[in-house]
Amino acid sequence: MNILTMMWKNLLRGYQTLLFPAHPRVTPRFRGLVQFDPALCTGCAVCRFRCTSRAIEFKAGKGEFTWSYNPGQCTFCGRCVEGCAEHALKEGHTEHALSQQEAVPPIYTMQGELKKSYTVARRPPTPKSAAPPAAVPPAGAAVPSPVTGGAQ
Amino acid sequence: MTLLTALARLLIFPGLLFAVPAAWFFLWVERKSVALMQERVGPPFMQPFFDFVKLLGKSTPPRSGIAGLLMRAWPLIAVSAAAGAVGLLPVLPSSGGFEGDLILLLALLELPSICIIAAGFSSRSIFGEIGSAREAALSVSYNIVFLLAIVSIAASQHTFRLDALASAPSTPLHWLGILAILVCLPAKLHINPFSLPNAEQEIYAGPMTEYAGPELAMWELSHGLEWVAGTGLVATLVAPHVSSVWLAAMIFVAISFAVVLLLSALAAATARLAIDTTVRFYWQCTLIFAVLAVSSALFMRFRS
Amino acid sequence: MKLWKRLMCTARRRSPWLFHMNSGSCNGCDIEIVAALSPRYDAEQLGVRLEGSPRHADILCVTGPVTRKAVGAVKTVYDQVLGPKAVIAIGSCPATTNVFIDSRTLDGPLDKHLPVDVFVPGCPPRPDAIIAGVAKAAEILAERGNNPPQTNVAIAAAEEVQQ
Repeated sequence: MNILTMMWKNLLRGYQTLLFPAHPRVTPRFRGLVQFDPALCTGCAVCRFRCTSRAIEFKAGKGEFTWSYNPGQCTFCGRCVEGCAEHALKEGHTEHALSQQEAVPPIYTMQGELKKSYTVARRPPTPKSAAPPAAVPPAGAAVPSPVTGGAQ
Repeated sequence: MTLLTALARLLIFPGLLFAVPAAWFFLWVERKSVALMQERVGPPFMQPFFDFVKLLGKSTPPRSGIAGLLMRAWPLIAVSAAAGAVGLLPVLPSSGGFEGDLILLLALLELPSICIIAAGFSSRSIFGEIGSAREAALSVSYNIVFLLAIVSIAASQHTFRLDALASAPSTPLHWLGILAILVCLPAKLHINPFSLPNAEQEIYAGPMTEYAGPELAMWELSHGLEWVAGTGLVATLVAPHVSSVWLAAMIFVAISFAVVLLLSALAAATARLAIDTTVRFYWQCTLIFAVLAVSSALFMRFRS
Repeated sequence: MKLWKRLMCTARRRSPWLFHMNSGSCNGCDIEIVAALSPRYDAEQLGVRLEGSPRHADILCVTGPVTRKAVGAVKTVYDQVLGPKAVIAIGSCPATTNVFIDSRTLDGPLDKHLPVDVFVPGCPPRPDAIIAGVAKAAEILAERGNNPPQTNVAIAAAEEVQQ
């Protein structure tokens, strides 16, 4: 009798389907498309090194570099974002160029259609942000400096 | 019955012009009610019609030889047999009596499954052979019960004429026979729990594996017409005898619709049974029940 | 017969029948395809039916980077799909072979062997993205009509596996 009561309750409650083209809610921890901010990128190419599927390409030039990302090749693992965050922290920066928003990759019809390239001019290295210079040992990323601590 | 009335019965109601849209409607009702019982929203209303039209527009693989000719012929035979069975149903109170009898109706109801079996074998694909073998085993099991049930109803009324059977007073034996037919209908229509020839995960598409395009459209149409014929048979046996033509037609459609809903609920509630359980079910439980029905019919007949 | 052509276009758009083929996938995308048929996403609201035979289907959904052993099978199945047809590459593996890009056992992305119409990226793609891909492929099918797709890949002549 269990299945019959279940069917009857289903009939009374109505359908639970998401009607096309509705999309379900995306949770905050969803790893979607990788977003790049050219203003914050220092051109270290750690993301290209860490990328598992060669979705990120980095071409270094004289005074500028080209960073490109192919979402079709991406496996959305998040290693590039972690690498960028770690490296930025090691250098003493508070912000980094890559983030993985909750953006679901869209469908496309031609090979390579979603690939995006950015050509960024190299900036002269900025002085370290205002941190007490004396007692900053060249430690690993595990030691947050007092000013930047907790900003991640 | 004049030729004109006979043609009207065969072509308009309950013949082709009514049967084909009714087939699409009943196919939709089945899919939609199964979906609603599974909390899904199911296909839109015109879905079986669009499936049919789309299939008509696809190309067919080239087929040569006698096997190819047979493969093209089986769906057409199935559709015409099912449409003929629907046209033969004693829905309307007849003026003069259609001279076709129960044996003809049973033969026409049988032909679609025979065509499926033959189609699977003539497609010379291994999936077709396995599917056809399963369909044949299923057919042998439920057909005995089905035929015994109908024959017991006929024997209790001393007649094989369809209109007399439809308008006969109902006895407990009558209801026993209708119950037996209802038990056989899921197997006849290939729905759960007896949907063995359609086991997609095991044998791809079974007997239909090599069919495509307009031939597949004909198979789907014959499946829909089998729905109309099967539920219509139960409806004509259950329906009370009324004299007005319109009322009889509406009662027929309403009872067919109710039977479709009942069978869809059964399909949504159960899973597919394996061949040994299916055969055991029909041979053990219902065969005994059908033999009892026939023997009581004969006993009542010889007593009276 | 303009009315018939319009009816046929509508019917092709509203009745996409799928055949799902796995050419070496990790099964993540296959599970999401099955999830697309579950009550929450319900592909059947678009008229989608998952068919058991490639001869019945209009749209071939391929998952997995095409392994060397699967190339012949994928081409055979593509030839068995009849009439106006479309191909969807589900996941990033058939589109670009994803993380397996240097593997010795693969034979290129799916583009190398079949004309692909829709790519659904993701690893695995969400079921609603798969359904959006199927809807897009159904529209492409409706507009394509009876003309076969333009391709520069030599598709093997249609050898009928079963006559």
